[in-house]
Amino acid sequence: MKIQPFGDKALLVTFEKKIDPEINQQVISLYHTLKASGKFTFLTPAYCSLTVGIDRTQYAISEATELINDLASHPLTNQVAYVRNITIPVCYEDEFAPDLDEVAQTTGLTKQEVIEKHSSTEFRVYMLGFVAGFAYMGTLPDELVCSRKKTPRKSVPKGAVGLAGHQTGIYPVNAPGGWQIIGQTPVDMFDTRREEPNLLFPGDKVKLRAISRDEFKLIAIKQETGIYSMEATHG
Amino acid sequence: MFCTLQDLGRIGHQDSGIPFGGAMDKEAHKIANELLDNPHSTPTLEMTLVGAEIHFEGNGQIAISGADMNAELNGQPAPMYQSIDIKDGDRLVFHQSKLGCRTYLAAKGEWQGKEWLKSFSAVANLMNVEGVPGMLKPGDIIEIHTTHFIPLRNYPLSLRPIYSSCYIVRVITGPEFEQFEIDQVQSFFDTIFKVSPDSNRMGYRLEGSIEHYEPKGEEISSGIVEGTIQVTNLGEPIILMADAQTTGGYPRIANVVSEDLSIVAQMKAGDEVKFMLVSLSDL
Repeated sequence: MKIQPFGDKALLVTFEKKIDPEINQQVISLYHTLKASGKFTFLTPAYCSLTVGIDRTQYAISEATELINDLASHPLTNQVAYVRNITIPVCYEDEFAPDLDEVAQTTGLTKQEVIEKHSSTEFRVYMLGFVAGFAYMGTLPDELVCSRKKTPRKSVPKGAVGLAGHQTGIYPVNAPGGWQIIGQTPVDMFDTRREEPNLLFPGDKVKLRAISRDEFKLIAIKQETGIYSMEATHG
Repeated sequence: MFCTLQDLGRIGHQDSGIPFGGAMDKEAHKIANELLDNPHSTPTLEMTLVGAEIHFEGNGQIAISGADMNAELNGQPAPMYQSIDIKDGDRLVFHQSKLGCRTYLAAKGEWQGKEWLKSFSAVANLMNVEGVPGMLKPGDIIEIHTTHFIPLRNYPLSLRPIYSSCYIVRVITGPEFEQFEIDQVQSFFDTIFKVSPDSNRMGYRLEGSIEHYEPKGEEISSGIVEGTIQVTNLGEPIILMADAQTTGGYPRIANVVSEDLSIVAQMKAGDEVKFMLVSLSDL
């Protein structure tokens, strides 16, 4: 663990530079420990780093560094309470999957194989970013790896499920984007009417469940009327 | 016209991927509120390059700060950086800014309206999302409850910012500074960059690139703070601002010092900027 100044109001804590569940778990553990202390202005966990906001009227950079080291040596012990298993229904039918053909061609798989591999992998939420509620999930099996679109789309619809490199993600709102879109979820990943607008958090375990057009419509209606409940368990 | 309500934003929600947000030029925003004895967290109207026409109903007090948009109150020049009394039926018209980019209008009292996560601030990439305050449109009404008035006052002339079209901005080294070769670092500090028209509340794109820049493979996405300067694969720096995404994947060569963010927020397309390296211990 290395701590360095990041601007004049934050510190950057970095771990081994690698996309790896265990390293990311160290980030998430430290994130929960620092968050629980209530001593920092903001926290931005990422794959293998944590950005920590410092109130400079309270702490000098050196004091804040010491504080993080101190807190890190006494991590929270009830971390398991934060692990959630979440299943997100995804419809991979053509109208929701404009890039499925391209992905099948690039990977040399059939469309059905792409869907099967994507919906049978357990993903980990490594971090949130890009837009509010966008969860970067990995790790995509090597067979599904494909590069971003050469020209990003001006608008990708809310709920679209995309691939980029070894990552997969779901667009929480309509946004420009270059990920390969292979499906769409009817579930609101980001909803300001909820007390906690985001559905996913770093450290969550996510499985995607392939659904039909009809189930897509049904879930969308359930959501609108407020009777949809998430398929989630706490591990 | 690009006009939004802005306050101090949503610090503390970056773990959810929500930008810091808030006024781009927080200094100007704070001064305008101070002139009215408002808390710093009171929203102001942030106008970019071109201002709005505002009709007042009822009496109140206002203050204008930031870029000079030649504001006129009932046809007479309206002074900046001082509190002004407003009477029922007054009309305030802002024109175009010649120097500086953003003008702030503060009003005495409690602002009513749509808040999200305790902030009135609109967010660049959540403009049409339900529940999030958005861009102001002609015809919108802002309700402000004023319970008492204060004696009018001035912000000292000597402390008011002066804008130009070329700036020197102080930076400290960024997390990936050491990945850059010495001649690339030299080029970064020698180059006079030009602000691209493709700049907004998320970030300032700069024209001009670091010489002989070759990206060293893909960076693993990591946090962004206000003022982070990333270098794109073409060697062009981007200064990330209030509404930037919370994480990014380009190397972070430097970071604008907090005090100079207000200067950056006043740069507009075509302005020139040069970076000066300072040490964190000098601040």
